[in-house]
Amino acid sequence: MGVTAAAAPVGAARTRKPRRPVDLLVLLALPAVGYLGFFFALPLVALLAKSVWTSAGPSIESYARFFGDPFSWQVVGNTLKIATLVTLVTLVLGYPTAFAMARARGIFQILLLVAMILPLSIGVVVKAFSWQIVLRRDGVVNQLLVWSGLTDEPVRFLFTETGLVLGAANIFLPFMVLPIYSVAKMIDPRLTEAAATLGAGPMYRFFRVILPLSMPGVVAGIAFVFSMAISMYVIPTLLIGDRYQTLATITGRSFLFLRNEQLGATTAVILLVIAVAVVLGSARLARGLRRTA
Amino acid sequence: MRKRDINDARRRGLSLSRRDALKLGIGAAAVAGFPAIVQAQRVPEIVIGGAASHKPWMDKVVIPMFERKYNCKILYEGTRSTINLEKMRAAKDRPVMSVVQMDDPVMIQAVEEDLIEPISVAQVPNLAKIKPGAVHMDGMWANYQQPWAGVAYNTQHLPQGVPTWVSMWEPRFKGKVVLPSLQNTEGPWVLFMAAHLETGKPLKEAQYDIEAAFKRLRALKPNLLTIYTNLPQAFNLLEQGEAWLQVTFSSWALLRKQEGSPVDLAAPKEGIFAMPSGICLVKGAPHRDLALAYINEMLGAELQTLLTPITFSLPTHVDVPLSADIPQDIEVFTPDWAWFTKHRAQLVERWDREMAI
Repeated sequence: MGVTAAAAPVGAARTRKPRRPVDLLVLLALPAVGYLGFFFALPLVALLAKSVWTSAGPSIESYARFFGDPFSWQVVGNTLKIATLVTLVTLVLGYPTAFAMARARGIFQILLLVAMILPLSIGVVVKAFSWQIVLRRDGVVNQLLVWSGLTDEPVRFLFTETGLVLGAANIFLPFMVLPIYSVAKMIDPRLTEAAATLGAGPMYRFFRVILPLSMPGVVAGIAFVFSMAISMYVIPTLLIGDRYQTLATITGRSFLFLRNEQLGATTAVILLVIAVAVVLGSARLARGLRRTA
Repeated sequence: MRKRDINDARRRGLSLSRRDALKLGIGAAAVAGFPAIVQAQRVPEIVIGGAASHKPWMDKVVIPMFERKYNCKILYEGTRSTINLEKMRAAKDRPVMSVVQMDDPVMIQAVEEDLIEPISVAQVPNLAKIKPGAVHMDGMWANYQQPWAGVAYNTQHLPQGVPTWVSMWEPRFKGKVVLPSLQNTEGPWVLFMAAHLETGKPLKEAQYDIEAAFKRLRALKPNLLTIYTNLPQAFNLLEQGEAWLQVTFSSWALLRKQEGSPVDLAAPKEGIFAMPSGICLVKGAPHRDLALAYINEMLGAELQTLLTPITFSLPTHVDVPLSADIPQDIEVFTPDWAWFTKHRAQLVERWDREMAI
């Protein structure tokens, strides 16, 4: 025992790797780290402090009050529901689009890329207003529905959850497509050909080869879209109005109108925690899927 | 120093030629003297805060008239009343704005936070000519005009408009009614009217009966298209026929009608409401004398005679007649703003819950 105990440090010393010198290139990140630290991390700490600070000292009273109110659960439910639906719609539309872009060649690829990137230069407010026109009772969507016979009379889309999801999904679609596209472009097409020569059918090739390899892009897209959809403020304000409250709209109202900074800080922190949890959770899920694939 | 050395020194920037020195001297004199020249030519400049929607008539009528008369420059900052209040708070120790034009409920907050100071007849002679009820809290502010609020309608769908506030509850208007949020100054009207319709009491009494108001408003929910905080965006819905009815006020709705939009503003039989367009002196205002002169002009007969027809508002100066567009024989109700302001946060919170989708 004594010999083993005495020998252990010697063994540890023998197996210890030589210290690598610090790479000075790390210093290049200092300006960005300083910028983010000062303009993001510090305000975040201040926000957190504001949510728990009362005249009697630190307390979780504001969180208890928020979660003790059934209306708050409705607001959290609205926020999660809309963010999830928007993410799902963009994923369903964006995944095949990204692969089409990756597989396209020449002018078609350029056209698809331009079509995806150009709308990013248009402001969110302009896009949301455009959706108001598209979703009106006499708008294009309703004209198509009535013309095709799917409905007898115009359906109300404006100021409904459906209208909000459609509008927001359109605005956030490039943020789902582009990360998947960048990964899809790297997937070697010979891999699926190899799988086919080994007898794998199209479904098997998709679920066991393509999907696992594209998961990093999917996770990045989900992270982008979900975090933007969960915190969107202008789009719900324009497309569904004041009758539909989300955590972001409650936060804005608390700071800008009610001057209840503690409530605003509390809802902002809850929003951040949900967004971070979902993004980290989806990354973990993707890793798990890759391992099992 | 030899010529070659001098040239070398010049190339290295270590020496100046006579011409360079002269240029430098002229440049330095110009830089030093420029502020003095500008100062000598500068006219006094005052900053007026107000509503963004007022900018067209401020630019067209008020600012040219005042600048010409007082040889000064007005900078008009048009935004929401609550934003102006925030600016006043931020610059409390060193105010930038001299005068602020905003709504009565926000004025009450400004008084509570000691951001504005009272005006008197000695400072503002026209204050003596303002009609009763339009000078508030011992002269802390006064109303320079009162746009009236009623029910705006789309004339293509409803050529005759609506005769009564009760129409908004009719099933034929399902999904076609737009209301202002309680965050907006025009927001409380429908709350007060709902209380009046539910209880049958006069508006003066009914305005405090919030339970009755919300009971009636819950019945309106199937008819609601949306509730807005942004008036121009919401009014677009009415102009395009997506909405048929919208509670709003004259200085916006009738202006849009004049500009050719298919809209009009009904004055229902139960009554209309006076919007509280107030004007106040910022505490510690820069250019105080000019600020007082400006307030005096805004409360005066000359400017109100010019303004009320183009803003479709009720004048507050006793000598200015009502313009032809104003409903002549309808009760104009002014609510208890102090009570409403005191309870506004709770009312907004309840409104959010009761009116949610």
